Amino acid sequence: MSAKIPRNFRLLEELEKGEKGLGAEACSYGLEDGDDLLMTNWNGTILGPPHSVHENRIYSLKIHCGESYPDVPPIVTFVSKINLPGVDQRDGKVDNTKLPCLSQWKRDFTMETILIEIRRYMALPQHKKLPQPPEGSTYT
Amino acid sequence: MALPKRIIKETERLMAEPVPGISAVPHEENLRYFDVTIDGPSSSPYEGGTFKLELFLPDDYPMTPPKVRFLTKIYHPNIDRLGRICLDVLKSNWSPALQIRTILLSIQALLGAPNPDDPLANDVAQRWKEDEKAAIQTAREWTAEHAKKA
Repeated sequence: MSAKIPRNFRLLEELEKGEKGLGAEACSYGLEDGDDLLMTNWNGTILGPPHSVHENRIYSLKIHCGESYPDVPPIVTFVSKINLPGVDQRDGKVDNTKLPCLSQWKRDFTMETILIEIRRYMALPQHKKLPQPPEGSTYT
Repeated sequence: MALPKRIIKETERLMAEPVPGISAVPHEENLRYFDVTIDGPSSSPYEGGTFKLELFLPDDYPMTPPKVRFLTKIYHPNIDRLGRICLDVLKSNWSPALQIRTILLSIQALLGAPNPDDPLANDVAQRWKEDEKAAIQTAREWTAEHAKKA
């Protein structure tokens, strides 16, 4: 077992990885407020997966990392409207039980893990052809 | 995982012989993670303030330096908006011969001697160079506003 990296230093690592663009190309994330010393609220984007109804669309999400992150998963909410099982159509909130990475959360998962998995979930055969709301519409 | 002897020794000494104006207390549930306070050096713009920091000793410490960050907002050319510190001994000039104690002393010294030529917070450094008096005044105001002793 290795040293348990505390929340804030973990988030700083994620921030630096995100800023340098070292992560997957199709997803990105950054701090909502660059002055927030607690690094609680993040913006994420997912580039719609190819060969799906989402192709060429850019989806914005909000990620809320609470005090107990990464012992518990963050709260993930779509800002851009999307028709996808597990996304609450009233407010865009992602149901943690529907996404394996959130329901079986592990401490070494990151915000990037989540965004990549959501993107993969969007591209599943049973999801990739679902009719979608107009591009650019949002929940708020 | 058992805590390396080196870390146990450093922690014991920090407790037994604390450095004046500096405290470092490990979290009970994570002995590699410390709550730190540093008093602003006298005759610096940070005088009278007590600054909170957090420090973490990664797996490969002391082969790699501790990770340290300010939790109190501070106006300083070598400390950015998220409290990250630009200090050579925390990066390329780290040596396993250094310790938590020496690092915290270096940070305290950095408060007494801001170095706008090696900036991390670019806007602060620029102001420091253009109008040092005004920058120092802002640093004083931030100290009074954010770093008041509890």
